[in-house]
Amino acid sequence: MSVMKTTRDVKGVGLSIPRPDGPDKVTGKVQYVADITPRGLLHAKLLRSPHAHAKIVRIDVSKARALPGVRAVLTAADIPELKGKPASRAHAVLAIDRVVFAGQPVAAVAADEVAIAEEALDLIDVQYEVLPASVDPLQAMKPGAPPVAELGTEADLSEAMAHSAVAMAKGETPTKAVNVSQTAHVKRGDVAKGFAESDVVLEHTYRVPMVHQGYIEPHAVLAEWDRSGNLTLWASTQGSFNTRSEVADVLGLEENRIKVIPVECGGGFGGKIRALCEPITAILARVTARPVRYVMTRREELEAGMPAPQVIIRLKTGVKKDGTLMALEGETVLESGAFSGTVLAVSAVFLGSLYKWPAFDIKGSEVLTHKPSVAAYRAPVAPQSIFAIDSQMDALARALNIDPVAFRARHLSKPGDPMANNQPWASMGAPEVLQKAGAHRVWKEREAWKKGAKPGTLRGVGLSLGGWLGGLQPTGASVKLNPDGTLSVLTGQVDIAGTNIALAQIAATAYGVDIDKVKITTGDTDVAPVTGLSAGSKTVYTVGVAVLQAAQAARKQTFEIAAAELEAAVDDLELVDGKIVVRGVPGKGVTLQSIGKKGNLYMSKVEPVIASSHPAFSQQAPAFASQIARIELDPDTGEVTLKDFVIVQDVGKAINPLAVEGQMQGGAVQSLGMALTEGLVYDDQGRLTNPSLLDYRKLTAADLPNLETVIVEVPSPAGPFGARGVGEPPIIPAPAAIANAIADATGVRLTEAPLTPERIALALARRGAG
Amino acid sequence: MPKQILSFTVNGDKVDLLVPPYVTLLDALRDEAGLTGPKEGCGTGDCGACTVHLDGKPVASCLVLALQARGRSVRTIEGLGTATALHPLQDAFVRHGVPQCGFCIPGVLMAAAALLEEHAAPTEEQIRYGIAGNLCRCTGYTKMVAAITEAAGMIKKGAAR
Ligand code: FES
Ligand code: FES
Repeated sequence: MSVMKTTRDVKGVGLSIPRPDGPDKVTGKVQYVADITPRGLLHAKLLRSPHAHAKIVRIDVSKARALPGVRAVLTAADIPELKGKPASRAHAVLAIDRVVFAGQPVAAVAADEVAIAEEALDLIDVQYEVLPASVDPLQAMKPGAPPVAELGTEADLSEAMAHSAVAMAKGETPTKAVNVSQTAHVKRGDVAKGFAESDVVLEHTYRVPMVHQGYIEPHAVLAEWDRSGNLTLWASTQGSFNTRSEVADVLGLEENRIKVIPVECGGGFGGKIRALCEPITAILARVTARPVRYVMTRREELEAGMPAPQVIIRLKTGVKKDGTLMALEGETVLESGAFSGTVLAVSAVFLGSLYKWPAFDIKGSEVLTHKPSVAAYRAPVAPQSIFAIDSQMDALARALNIDPVAFRARHLSKPGDPMANNQPWASMGAPEVLQKAGAHRVWKEREAWKKGAKPGTLRGVGLSLGGWLGGLQPTGASVKLNPDGTLSVLTGQVDIAGTNIALAQIAATAYGVDIDKVKITTGDTDVAPVTGLSAGSKTVYTVGVAVLQAAQAARKQTFEIAAAELEAAVDDLELVDGKIVVRGVPGKGVTLQSIGKKGNLYMSKVEPVIASSHPAFSQQAPAFASQIARIELDPDTGEVTLKDFVIVQDVGKAINPLAVEGQMQGGAVQSLGMALTEGLVYDDQGRLTNPSLLDYRKLTAADLPNLETVIVEVPSPAGPFGARGVGEPPIIPAPAAIANAIADATGVRLTEAPLTPERIALALARRGAG
Repeated sequence: MPKQILSFTVNGDKVDLLVPPYVTLLDALRDEAGLTGPKEGCGTGDCGACTVHLDGKPVASCLVLALQARGRSVRTIEGLGTATALHPLQDAFVRHGVPQCGFCIPGVLMAAAALLEEHAAPTEEQIRYGIAGNLCRCTGYTKMVAAITEAAGMIKKGAAR
């Protein structure tokens, strides 16, 4: 497009610009849902089941209803929408006659004050008949295990669709096992022959427990109805249009009767995609005809949020002495909790596709248990899958005494190579990322550094490589020129990660003005063009394209207006410093301001400049990260100290390097948490034993060194300015990097996350004894 | 339970609130004084999002009863800078692009401000321990540490002038 010629670099794409909401965030001005208090507000509380599996015999709410200040007490019997068996977690608003996980809501209260609502919960009398629970996913698969699902519930694949369109054959035969809700199977070549011809065969079972996304703002929602039956939701959500659809579905309401206002979201990481407490809050607001706010407690978050699935992967791999890959056999079990909804296919694709196995056979099962159902957590199932395959590659390299980076590089898939599902790998920068990581000082100088270990301590360096296929979702954006020559960009995209500034930078560069002339707004579902989830590392990749196209179209409109006014051809015009001029004719020009003004003037014949774009997408952009960990280890206590940590990541094009670094560092710490400290621990009755942030240990500033970031830019063919998704890759590699570093320091391979001091000390003691 | 009068100083102003005796300082500030800068991330003293200064010392306001603040002085994030100028810590946080979701930020800033009042030129380790009670899930802390280090330098320079 000729009008795309830029004659002068504007301040836009590629600059490290702090996000514009910074001042409001550092002064406490930004409002989250819990900060919004309309007149007449009621507070909601939910009574939750203490049992993982039980029949509800009787519920008596009469005393709670009689408490002064209580405005509503509801059970499933009071809610006409709750009829049949819930198809998904969102539909399980209140338990009907059976609870299937500890923490499942059984009754709901709305009261004048939180304290009154809490008191009312104590007055509700529920009689349960406790039933045996399926707690361990491997046991739950066995015949005779207590069944979780209601008959007739279907596997829920919407999560998989939302994150990463992974095309894969579903399991060929419907499975008979009672709690298996999804299966998948990919294979190629002759695995038995491959193992028979292998010199070295290694088999390990890797396990990563359920972990919580850990956003610091708990789920919160505020609901209010008008007298015409329209619902407004102020929500902490990663996708207001998705929230609208899910709530409409549960309440049987037309979507245009619901307005979702996406309030500042205090972190989501996948945990605030699916509806959770929105439907019940809306129902309480309807029953009371008052605004109702519900804010989950941290304990509720941990006990009854939507954590990441537990992932158990058995891997058997065979290689020749010279390092030739021969065969891989894998078995993946994803524990989905009480409702189906994991991204099973992602795991199989990564296990079989990242390295070029001539023969592989990978089976996956999703298993239901009597625990809270799971949801996405930043690159769902990728960290766990990479923990398995990368640990395995590292172990093979060590067993063969081959340089671990050279071994990976030799077998790494390249663009065009077939993935496990036989689709070709799209353009991706995994080889470049691995090469950059392998050349990094922290990796190169590992032997010298290890020699410096103090007596009584061990040192090790571990590296790993992982990636994400990239999500896609149709989306819209609009750009308009204001009467003063500034631009307004509108999307419905929830900005958690700093994507709005990146989108504004894209608009600035595409239109041809400096970033300070661009303001971007996230609109509610009534006014914003339809926009997808802030998830799957696809905001900049997809919404960026919509903004880019809308800005280009707005530029074209502007140039056409200028061409008519200047009596010149569009091709002869250029935009310089807010003025459209005829090339080579200084002084002849028209300012953006005057064009903007004429588009908004009484009796003016000039059209306003308003452009929109609404693309759909088919081409994913895989994005890879490698992480290098330098650790010191106390062999007596098993304590690991992280000394240095490096994140090398292909971002395609860093639209805003400052925001990109922030994503890389934040994701890495979540990855390190999964590696070192985090895990939801359940007793044999299916009750959570660590429902507080004291016992569910997240990493603090004192646990960590500075995290070094190395940005690699291998442009994607379809992303705006070559950008790729940035959010997910950094959460992927650390569990394997740490396990590899521990193996480097001690010679012992740990396969069960988190890699706690207890586990390390025990493994070392066992080796000492053996 | 009957409400009681809580008279104390908040961000330099004399304030009288009527609060029930079981209410935490965090809830009194948020619900009665209208200061929603301090956040509740856990309510059990484990996340630091509710950090405010009580007589100059950082406390988890979710663990303090409101009436314990009687006659004392409380400073919240709303009182860290002035109406027109950011505190050097706030300014450095903005420039370093620290805030992402932003939910932890008021608490982190109050912890950092208390740290700088105690150590004008803290080491990296002192900074990391100074904010170890504040969980952030978005940033990985690296940019926070850099911003706090820089702000300490700015404050010292300002004082020297
Ligand atoms: S809310 Fe007070 S420490 Fe978490
Ligand atoms: S910026 Fe989100 S928790 Fe710290």
